[in-house]
Amino acid sequence: MQTLAIRHLNVWYGQKQALKNINLNIPLHQITAIIGPSGCGKSTLLKCLNRLLDLNEQVRVEGQVLLDDLNIYDPRAEVTDIRTRIGLLAQKPFPLPLSIYENVAYGPRIHGRTNGNLPTIVQSRLEAVGLWDEVQDRLKAPATDLSVGQQQRLCLARTLAVEPEILLCDESTASLDPISARGIEELLATLRGKYTIIMVTHDIDQARRLADHVAFMWLGELVEDGPASPFFAHPQKELTQAYLAREIG
Amino acid sequence: MSRRRKLEELFFTWMMRSALAIAAAVLFLILGVIFWRGVGTLSWEMVSQPPQGAFYLGGGGGVLNAIVGSLYLAAGSTLVAALLAVPVVLYLHGYLGNGRRASLVRLSLDIMWGIPSIVYGAFAFALMIFLGLRASLLAGIIALALVVLPILARTFDEVVTLAPKQLRETTFALGATRLEFLGILLRQTVPGLLTAVLLAFGRGIGDAASVLFTAGYTNDMPQSLLQPVASLPLAIFFQLGTPFPEVQARAYASALILTIIILGISLLAHLSLTRLGRNVIR
Repeated sequence: MQTLAIRHLNVWYGQKQALKNINLNIPLHQITAIIGPSGCGKSTLLKCLNRLLDLNEQVRVEGQVLLDDLNIYDPRAEVTDIRTRIGLLAQKPFPLPLSIYENVAYGPRIHGRTNGNLPTIVQSRLEAVGLWDEVQDRLKAPATDLSVGQQQRLCLARTLAVEPEILLCDESTASLDPISARGIEELLATLRGKYTIIMVTHDIDQARRLADHVAFMWLGELVEDGPASPFFAHPQKELTQAYLAREIG
Repeated sequence: MSRRRKLEELFFTWMMRSALAIAAAVLFLILGVIFWRGVGTLSWEMVSQPPQGAFYLGGGGGVLNAIVGSLYLAAGSTLVAALLAVPVVLYLHGYLGNGRRASLVRLSLDIMWGIPSIVYGAFAFALMIFLGLRASLLAGIIALALVVLPILARTFDEVVTLAPKQLRETTFALGATRLEFLGILLRQTVPGLLTAVLLAFGRGIGDAASVLFTAGYTNDMPQSLLQPVASLPLAIFFQLGTPFPEVQARAYASALILTIIILGISLLAHLSLTRLGRNVIR
């Protein structure tokens, strides 16, 4: 059981404020889409949620991100544990410099969750992303031998192998061809109910197809959020209406 | 296109081609001269025997002592340097980032790279006198390790810098520790590390100044870490310094042996690179 809540979150890159007082509750086991134009801070918000933003030395974060009762920005919070519980599927597929098998096995291995049965874990994760049939006879081949679409599914399998509770997707279909993109979308739809998924997208139609809950961001601020059907049917704020009508953005 | 731009294009293209031709010609001239002057004297005796009596006056025997000594010196110093350089570079990239301390480390390595090897030799010699040690394989390895350490470290550092930035984000997003990230970084950069190691080895096996006082010279085969050893660069130096044409010819044959060793190692590296690099992300 896990809930995720963002409280009074402010982020600065050096002097420039990228996120302004964000408050958002992420519903459990649903797909939440964060939409907004380029540079509105939606990717920054996503990377706050697994503290990947820490890698950037110029960044300052204030506020809280509560994973159940744990504030992940608490100095006592173990950052590797947080990233284990909150997985990421990046924009561009990026396999590790390992074989196909080792890419999926990597997470369970470093977290010591193999239970002596790593091949089974790897197979089940590759099956979950529909890649098993395509790669089962070349598991030792370099991951870079795969097509870009296959690589992104491999990356998803690799993330799922860590057994996260929450899955962050940072425009995960943006660099794929339409067919591969559709494949990833369908996979994400099947994961709904098992994982809490937070996806960033600039594609309003994708958000319409997938999201149960939508949050709209503009210039570092959260303008409006709510369940998907009322959000799209009757947006409350003028800014949201204009964005959804593609008049701005 | 105007006539002027055409002429410009033509002129600079030919200038670049000429520069390339000169550089290539120098390489082939060196190889050619060494081959031409050395191949006649090169014999099985030369590579299979240490010097016999009166070798430097034209007596029998070969330079096996120097071949083995040079391989020991270069291998030992490269190993010592790699044991220092790899942790230094990984620490730079895993923990120091791009801050002031990292630039300071890089600056220090660059300065070390620029120091002439005779200075390292003199430094190690002074150290030996202070410690009461005599010229030995061990002292030679230490002096030579100082010479190749910056080469190895900075070359590897450049390779690691070229690793994709997304590698860091991807590995950490899976909940990896910094050490585990460095493990992945090493997997990505192993081919580059091998290149750096071979560059260091090539520099080490060819360096004369640092081993002159530290490793000494002997006509015997290398005995132990604490005994002096011969080396190919010094074998070339001593033989070329004699007034006897047949001994001078042996110097060229020794140079040819040194060149063949380096070529062989480069070839070996090339072959192993394709195997080691199969999983690397490009």
